[in-house]
Amino acid sequence: MIFVTVGSMLPFDRLVKTLDIAVGKRLVDETLFAQIGEADYKPRNLRFVDVLDRETYIRQFKSAKAIISHAGMGTIAMADRYEKPLLVLPRLKRYREHVNDHQVQTAKAFAKEGYFLMAKESNDLVNKIRELQNFTPKKRVTQVDAVINRVEIGRAHV
Amino acid sequence: MSQRKELRLGVVASPGGHLTQILTISRAWDEYSAFYVSTSPTVTSSLAKKGPFYIIEESGRGHLFGTIKCFVQCFKIILKERPQVIISGGSGCGSFLCIIGKIFGAKTLWLDSIANVERMSLSGRVTRPFVDLCLVQWPKHADRYSNVEYWGKVI
Repeated sequence: MIFVTVGSMLPFDRLVKTLDIAVGKRLVDETLFAQIGEADYKPRNLRFVDVLDRETYIRQFKSAKAIISHAGMGTIAMADRYEKPLLVLPRLKRYREHVNDHQVQTAKAFAKEGYFLMAKESNDLVNKIRELQNFTPKKRVTQVDAVINRVEIGRAHV
Repeated sequence: MSQRKELRLGVVASPGGHLTQILTISRAWDEYSAFYVSTSPTVTSSLAKKGPFYIIEESGRGHLFGTIKCFVQCFKIILKERPQVIISGGSGCGSFLCIIGKIFGAKTLWLDSIANVERMSLSGRVTRPFVDLCLVQWPKHADRYSNVEYWGKVI
């Protein structure tokens, strides 16, 4: 099962509709299950929910073979944490999917380093899903301890 | 039950990536009393594990009523809680809490989301003058502004 998620804040009908149509045309080998948010578009060809509570969401995420989502940091972080191959479609301002196009820059910067796959446009999605089957994500290395040390020093000045 | 030290902290972040990122560094303040602020009931179970929390309206471009309501709610929270330190992961609600908190004498910390690759977020840039320690996750952002530091990425 591939888990499709639009994140916790806004629907993402372009992603969901594209996948729904692709499944209907039998262009996708895997079963998809989607969390679609408070969306206008309701899929006909794949199982979906509007919202999941946190525990169920995490359970679905962990049990998925791969993830397809928007390029939101929460999803990206979770995919890295649970070592799931991830395919992102960035939200675009021109479709009123977000307030600006920062997801495009995020997606490009991270995809370039091999952390996940990126579809630039919705018509790239089906091809990228095929790539996803054989994709091994690069693990992210962070500097959380260094940042915590700096914050603690900052607090010493309170 | 361990003794919590006296310092009062407020931690604020919009749901999703903002909240995920700010919680990666919660070890920096877990020993203190902290309340949490976010803008969607979907994060209730995450916040309930950390401490008392408020779910308020989100502020944002094109949502004037929501923005005004968020401002008023942040103001009321600051008046009630009187935090000495405010820690923000952005976005809009984080700006209000930092700015109002600073006016009432709090020390403020801002962690800009790594999702802002080309430059700091709008909310980060607007709030930066009111922030004592502004942390970014791209080295080039620290070069661009004063009082902004890069110590690595949290996510």
